[in-house]
Amino acid sequence: MTVIESFKMAIEAITANKMRSFLTMLGIIIGIAAVIAILAIGNGATTKITGTFNDLGATTISLSVSNKAGNDAQLTAADLQAIKQADDRVTAVSPNYTLSGFAATNTQDQQAIIFGGTPDLQYTSTMMDSTITAGRYFTQADYAESAPVAVISADGAAQLFPNQRNVVGQTITLRSRTTSISVRLIGETQSTVDKYQGAVRRSSFPVYVAIPYSTMKLLSINAGGITDVTMKVRSRNDITSVSQSTVRLLETRHDVVGEQLYTARNFLSALDQVDSVLGLFVNFIAAVAAIALIVGGIGVMNIMLVSVTERTREIGTRKALGATTRDILIQFLLEAVILSLIGGLIGLTLGIAVAEIVANVLGITARITWQAILLVLLFASAVGVFFGLYPARKAAKLNPIEALRYE
Amino acid sequence: MSLITMQHVVKSYTMGDEHLVVLKDVNLTVEAGEFLAIMGPSGSGKSTMMNIMGLLDTFDSGLYQLRDTDVTHLSDNERAHVRNKEIGFVFQSFNLMPRMTLLENVALPMVYAGIGRRERQDRAAAALTQVGLGDRLDHQPNEISGGQMQRVAIARAIVNRPAVIMADEPTGNLDSKTSVEIIRIFQELNAAGTTVVMVTHEPDIAQYTKRIISFRDGIIQTDQVLDQPHKAGVEE
Repeated sequence: MTVIESFKMAIEAITANKMRSFLTMLGIIIGIAAVIAILAIGNGATTKITGTFNDLGATTISLSVSNKAGNDAQLTAADLQAIKQADDRVTAVSPNYTLSGFAATNTQDQQAIIFGGTPDLQYTSTMMDSTITAGRYFTQADYAESAPVAVISADGAAQLFPNQRNVVGQTITLRSRTTSISVRLIGETQSTVDKYQGAVRRSSFPVYVAIPYSTMKLLSINAGGITDVTMKVRSRNDITSVSQSTVRLLETRHDVVGEQLYTARNFLSALDQVDSVLGLFVNFIAAVAAIALIVGGIGVMNIMLVSVTERTREIGTRKALGATTRDILIQFLLEAVILSLIGGLIGLTLGIAVAEIVANVLGITARITWQAILLVLLFASAVGVFFGLYPARKAAKLNPIEALRYE
Repeated sequence: MSLITMQHVVKSYTMGDEHLVVLKDVNLTVEAGEFLAIMGPSGSGKSTMMNIMGLLDTFDSGLYQLRDTDVTHLSDNERAHVRNKEIGFVFQSFNLMPRMTLLENVALPMVYAGIGRRERQDRAAAALTQVGLGDRLDHQPNEISGGQMQRVAIARAIVNRPAVIMADEPTGNLDSKTSVEIIRIFQELNAAGTTVVMVTHEPDIAQYTKRIISFRDGIIQTDQVLDQPHKAGVEE
């Protein structure tokens, strides 16, 4: 008997009991739909997160000083200069110092996040960056003089000066727990609250302000020695070597070689971690979906066993007419596989639809790879073979006389 | 050489503690062109004999030769091939495939014989025409009467041009008029040279054959050649 004949017979048997076949497939459909949707959404999320990390800081190095370091080992403005001059692959170096305080005018008093840095802060900071919409960023000269100047985010400006379009030139008071200073606003950056894409409430969002690190020292007694620095390098490939050479440079300058007081971190390792966590999550859910598939497979086996019993006489007749054990085995096995495969195809369609909808809601792009499609269809077939084999063998091994006598 | 030669065939079953000898040293020779009726009460061994002759069942000892070939020791697969090529089965309850057309039903043995689709259709149509159903090729079994279903089964039995037709109570589910019609087809086939072996418990049906064998307690009790078999009348 040819494969085509077996195929036709299997299709006939499946379509003879449409409702039952559909219900049997349901487990497979749900399992496959879940697997394909999770893979698509997981891949989409990974792509999105990787993209975000690339935007944020694939070329960023975070330098930190151990809290075991004494005062001598803490970094100075001269160190930052030296780092930048030592290697032309370093494009920006700035302290990464953030103070939670208040920003006030005569009429307003708001919570504020105050950033202190060198003029390079506009390149190293993701919040107070160089996208100036009015005025300018503070300069090396401002930094050198500890000038009482500040750059403010657009939404912060709107909170402090609700009725004013242009805030450049206005004076505000910055307050920490211990002291306060007056600074002149010299520039306005684009809105920072918008960077959260609606994830935070606009009304409770603090005012973001950036001031020279030297000015920060007037506001906070903690802003003495520098313990956290953010650096930018030209390309992703420079990250590792610049990290190493910078740590060596600082150890030499402070004569603490080998004491491991300085640590350079980058987002690449963080990205790897996110990737692996996300991968673990996707694999976990895929495993749960695979269990659904196995349950679906048991459904297929169950209905195939019922079918074999129902068709005992048919099997006996076929054997009498010359069907071999193999012919019967293939017929029933193919029926189980086709049942699973049709379920797989329906599940695939459903899964893609679900993935598209969910991805749309989450604001990511569902990524459906042909590998994933091939994988789930292979898996569906494998489920069909695995759970169809026992019923098919049972059918094939039936004694023709007993099968013919079966009522 | 005879078409069927069976010598010293013994068949027994063990059911629990009980050992049951169903066929005790049966010898039977069937020549080509015979029309044989096998009779006997339930448990006489006639059905077992039929199953062994039809290569559906194996036996404990003895010899079975079918058309020059020793078929005593064949594997399951080999027996399936011999059944397919040499034996045409007709059953009491017709055993048609309910979701197939009459044409597909008749073509089924040729599917297992590996014959191409075109030839299958031609030969199945010819066989159905031979039993008087040439105009119902695309009907389903549930659209025709019992007598017609049995004709389809006969068409299916002859389509692979077997050495012998094995009919197991072929008229058991039919009224007497339809039974005679079916018997007439067997007689026509037999007249054209087909060997027919028929198990029946109806003596009047047996009278249409050329030779009656009666089983009792696992042995052939009588073996009687009919000089003047009944002739099944022409359909009214």
